Amino acid sequence: MILVGVLRHYVVFLLQPPPKKLSRAGVREQRALARSQILRATSSKSLIPPAYHKALSQYLSDAFKDGVYLKDGPPNGDAASSAANALTDPAAMDGMMAGMKTQMVMMVPQMIIMGWINFFFQGFVLIKLPFPLTFGFKSMLQRDIEAPDMDVKWVSSLSWYFLNLFGLNGFYRLFLGGDNSADSSRDMTMSPFASAGTTQLSQPQDFAKLFKAERDNLELSEGQYTWVGEDLDLKVLRKYGKLPPKLD
Amino acid sequence: MSVHSALEELARYRARNKRASQEVFEKGTLILQKNGHKKMGDEVWDFLEQLALAAIDVGRLEVADRCLRQLSDKFPQSPRVNCLAGIRLEASEPPETALKYYSDLLEADPTNVAVWKRRISVLRRMGQMEEAISELSQYLDTFYTDIEGWLELADIYACCNQYDYSLQALSHTLLLAPQNPVYALQFAETAYTAGDLPLSLKMFLMVIDMTDGDETECLSESTPLGITVRAWYGVKLCTRRMSRDPQLVTTSASGTSPPRHAAILDELATERLRVAYSSAGKKGDIAQGRGIVFSWVASP
Repeated sequence: MILVGVLRHYVVFLLQPPPKKLSRAGVREQRALARSQILRATSSKSLIPPAYHKALSQYLSDAFKDGVYLKDGPPNGDAASSAANALTDPAAMDGMMAGMKTQMVMMVPQMIIMGWINFFFQGFVLIKLPFPLTFGFKSMLQRDIEAPDMDVKWVSSLSWYFLNLFGLNGFYRLFLGGDNSADSSRDMTMSPFASAGTTQLSQPQDFAKLFKAERDNLELSEGQYTWVGEDLDLKVLRKYGKLPPKLD
Repeated sequence: MSVHSALEELARYRARNKRASQEVFEKGTLILQKNGHKKMGDEVWDFLEQLALAAIDVGRLEVADRCLRQLSDKFPQSPRVNCLAGIRLEASEPPETALKYYSDLLEADPTNVAVWKRRISVLRRMGQMEEAISELSQYLDTFYTDIEGWLELADIYACCNQYDYSLQALSHTLLLAPQNPVYALQFAETAYTAGDLPLSLKMFLMVIDMTDGDETECLSESTPLGITVRAWYGVKLCTRRMSRDPQLVTTSASGTSPPRHAAILDELATERLRVAYSSAGKKGDIAQGRGIVFSWVASP
């Protein structure tokens, strides 16, 4: 079972499509926001003089308004449905397929092993736990053995399989590193469709909307702008004791 | 020198991004001769790249070719090796050939940063300033956070006497690296050259404020060192020119308000420069030429 996990890790690794290259315009669109964020982050104690700051802020604001940074160029009025449907967009479809593929690699060997164990060891008791347990664990430890009077210490084959399946994660982490894809607990937390759903939602970002929001932020930070250099002459003179220190 | 110590030295150069081409070349060829690179493991590729660059730098192209051949055998189609091959082309071929090579690479992958930057540098070397500027602006519009790129743009503009544009480019470096006083100093000096004295004075003061330490009590006794001295020179230059020509106090293209207490600032700058070159300031090796400096600061 450990070997299966290791094998699965590498198969998933191979199946993962190489990261897609963005076009130049795509990169530009993605990074435009960072640009105004840098401007905003420094605006309350900015190093650059007011005239330059104002020009920059104005330029970015106008560019966001006109959609200069959008990948497909400025929008032309009637094309309102810019948020394309993910199912028709081949790029988004690719992402979804990749999710399905890895999930398949997860599920198939698990089902095969489980079927195999079920076939050969059905109804067998495999181990005996060295400690007593209460009756409530019966359904967990003695799956598919219909013996109501048997002690809970005895564990059936199928239950032992499940216990192993979830217990091996620590092992995989040792062998394959923290972010390995042999981790089976993730299979249970999300079905293939759930994972496809989340990637689908996060993938196509509507940059037009983001830019619009960023414009408001820019305006706000413009109001907070102060230049460090404004009172610097007084500050340096005070620092060197040439002027009396500030009274307040 | 043993192979082992040479390798260590080279690794140190790599880590510090140092361009000591002659040393790298000597040590590198020694390692190549003794076949030390055969048992280096994965580090060998870094070493080969470093040696190739150094060999191009010192003009030993045959060594560079040897490194390059091994690299391209190991990593065919790698953008990094492609870029290195381009630099090798620049060394021996006319710039047009290199330009063509880079353009082809860029067509295949328009987001290859290293190749794009090489192309811009070739354009600049060929003297096609306009082309270089427009290409560089386009590059920076896409990869905004490249401080080197902004510095290069500022430098190109300053070469063409476009100091105002140069200041604009520098203001981006100030935004991106507000902690680095060297950029602020460059901004101040460019503003001084552009004739915007009030702005320049403020920026020089900013450099001083950034570099002279925080301890307020002993500041007037401490000795300015390094970049701070240069900034004090700047302050002195600004205040002196302002006092000679009162019109300069109010002429500011950026609309900076005139400095208050310019006379006291002038006095302070004179005093600080004297301290920097006095016998107490021997620490920084700048105590030579004291007489010249003293007479310069004393002249009106």
